[in-house]
Amino acid sequence: MFRRCRNMVVTERTKMANVSEPLQVPGHEESHPDFLQHHFDTPAQQFGAAKLGMWVFIATEILMFGGLFCAYAIWRGQDPKVFDEAHHFLNKILGASNTIVLLFSSLTAALAVRSSQVGKRNLTSFYLVVTIACACIFLVIKYFEYSHKFHLGLLPGHCFGHPGLSAAIQNGEEVGTCLRMDVNSASVMPEWVRAVDEEGHVTLLSPRANMFFGLYFVMTGLHGLHVVIGMSILLWVLYKNVKGSFSPAYFTPVDLGALYWHLVDLVWIYLFPLLYLVGKPE
Amino acid sequence: MAADLPHTMEPADSGASASTGADAHGAVHVHIASSRFYVGIFAALICLTIATVKVSYYDFGAANIVLALVIATMKASLVAAFFMHLRHDNLFNTIAFLAAFVFLGIFILLTYDDTGYRGQVDNDYGGKIDPRTGQGAAGGEPATSATADSVAAEKAPGAVVGKKE
Repeated sequence: MFRRCRNMVVTERTKMANVSEPLQVPGHEESHPDFLQHHFDTPAQQFGAAKLGMWVFIATEILMFGGLFCAYAIWRGQDPKVFDEAHHFLNKILGASNTIVLLFSSLTAALAVRSSQVGKRNLTSFYLVVTIACACIFLVIKYFEYSHKFHLGLLPGHCFGHPGLSAAIQNGEEVGTCLRMDVNSASVMPEWVRAVDEEGHVTLLSPRANMFFGLYFVMTGLHGLHVVIGMSILLWVLYKNVKGSFSPAYFTPVDLGALYWHLVDLVWIYLFPLLYLVGKPE
Repeated sequence: MAADLPHTMEPADSGASASTGADAHGAVHVHIASSRFYVGIFAALICLTIATVKVSYYDFGAANIVLALVIATMKASLVAAFFMHLRHDNLFNTIAFLAAFVFLGIFILLTYDDTGYRGQVDNDYGGKIDPRTGQGAAGGEPATSATADSVAAEKAPGAVVGKKE
């Protein structure tokens, strides 16, 4: 009975599509390829559903980062001058380099999808490897930026604006030792942070600049986590591609993996100017 | 046996746009751009990145952040439209994507409305003050202690955070 019912549907579709050749009978291996889940009628329906699901997920990701962007907007609105001073401690050149690395990795991710669409499996693997390599370069540059800021004592926490920190810098002591200071031994009143910014100016930072650095570390940290997750996804896609799971008829994981990677790029496109570039030039 | 159950639902091709459609067999058909086209988009993105860095070395006052965000939005649009295929994708995916920004806008505006005008709303509260405005604010600091700015002014004259008089 089911079979008859389906045949009727098939006939209806054939009429609507106005094609001369009849549709493949469902159950036939050509119309039921391995990659087609049983709850989808056609590969196109499965592909459309997967894409919509990915875009809804991307929307939730934007809203998750949105909470931090909202915090940035509010705090920057309240302390524009503090943000202005603090942002000079970020290196524009390193930030711009990372932007270019990510944009290039987005290009190779898009080209990986394209290669998969036209069935060039080896080329897909090549572009995926380049994308993952770019992700590694991004993380290495980020590591150098982070460690430099830790060294300056700009990590928010008891270290930031700690009394004795600015004196330690003036005496030429290793600033990193502030992490080992006994907080209880001194007054906990935060002090202005005296540090040398990226342009070489000795700048006094308000204790409230820890809001800027807090946002910097959380926003770039969450973004960095996405870079790591994106790398893992692309590695899995690479593995499946090498095994030969994809074809011009089925490249959904390559497409969705690349979409996730482009999301990582999208977030950075906004993070870069907001953290590195906005503020009065010196 | 579940695989043999009939579906009354139409396949996705009836609702999809012309380019992400399917033929009579329901196979996936997408718009495939040339490699050269993708490289062109990348070149445009690099130009915009250089532009946004260059612009940041000039002082346009409040226009700096507007310019930075406009350029960032241009870059994001290029990535979303072409690298992420939205230009040739089902329109509904674009709507889902843009809806996130609408709700983000509502979120930021309402939060700004709350935090930006607390001092005025709670003017008569008296117990706490907003360190920025000096006005009464329920969420502010105790009125008896000096504000963070005046403490800072004593410690580091000449590098004072701007305080409206």
